[in-house]
Amino acid sequence: MMIPVRCFTCGTVVGEHWEEFKARAKEGDEDPAEVLDELGVNRHCCRRMMVSHTDLVDVVSPYQ
Amino acid sequence: MTNEFDVEIIERDDRSALFVVRGLTPAFANGIRRAMVADVPTFSIDTVRFVENSSVMFDEMIGLRLGLVPLTTPLDDFEVGETVTLALDVEGPATAYSGDIETSVPEVVPADENIPIIELKENQRLEFEADAVLESGKVHAKQQGGVAVGYRHLQRIEVVGDAPEFDEQEPNILRGVIETEDGELVVTDEFDNDLTQRYPGKEVEVVDVPDTFVFDVETDGSFTVDELVLRAIESIDARAAELEEKVSV
Amino acid sequence: MSYKCSRCKRDVELDEYGGVRCPYCGHRVLLKERARTVKEVDVE
Repeated sequence: MMIPVRCFTCGTVVGEHWEEFKARAKEGDEDPAEVLDELGVNRHCCRRMMVSHTDLVDVVSPYQ
Repeated sequence: MTNEFDVEIIERDDRSALFVVRGLTPAFANGIRRAMVADVPTFSIDTVRFVENSSVMFDEMIGLRLGLVPLTTPLDDFEVGETVTLALDVEGPATAYSGDIETSVPEVVPADENIPIIELKENQRLEFEADAVLESGKVHAKQQGGVAVGYRHLQRIEVVGDAPEFDEQEPNILRGVIETEDGELVVTDEFDNDLTQRYPGKEVEVVDVPDTFVFDVETDGSFTVDELVLRAIESIDARAAELEEKVSV
Repeated sequence: MSYKCSRCKRDVELDEYGGVRCPYCGHRVLLKERARTVKEVDVE
């Protein structure tokens, strides 16, 4: 639904970087791997949090 | 046991550090790690009083997210168990960020300001008051100051000869820090974590250096790494003193 | 106990004899409104 605040595996705060990642990689045309490197999201446990996440607020909001 | 510890810092940042400690038993190395994870207290939201929540998430889900937001923790000014009051009031259409949280004490604020808590649509509103409590990581994982804290033996690379001339060399991957034969400490990132990059055409042997450990420490932003490590050592010191006192009676 | 009819969106008061039904439009689906009090949640 919303991006998890922390990585499930290691506990690093990943929510902090979501908006920038979304703007640059998901909606922009930059390479996700390069954006994550720049943001300092290095471990693959944290990277999968960002890469595999989908915002669902828009999908559930019509149902009150 | 009165060893002198020899500490060498390799990388040091506000929130992460890499350092080598010599003269440590494996048990003591693990003791430091555990103290960093479980014994250094941090502030974290513990109870939330929802005045209004018309968002798409339940109160408990938002409470869980709030608990995970790191809060800056001045350990000198607070005792374990003390609370700080926080509040947030955001009306949609907007996104409530951790930076929107207001606190009663200016020293205790969200360490990261861009964590989305909940996206609010038209006519949705989130208003709450929350209590953050200073507790150690033993109580709950959200109270841990150290994140991804680990250690490993320092590895020493010894060149034992030349690799067979026409053999395809297979990658030899190492991570962290290595010690060369001249006693130089090298971060493995410098040669792409692959020993064959640093010693092309050589046959090498990797041996663990006894009683020497490489620590890789990160914090969630509640305080600096220096503070985390020193507080962890302090807590071991305090517990050792307590044990000594109790046993000597 | 206050409810809201999911079809006509009007507030409905239920009593124990009337059964679950909106007195205005006869719709049988009622939504329970959130209480207006402050709700305290323990973060676990």
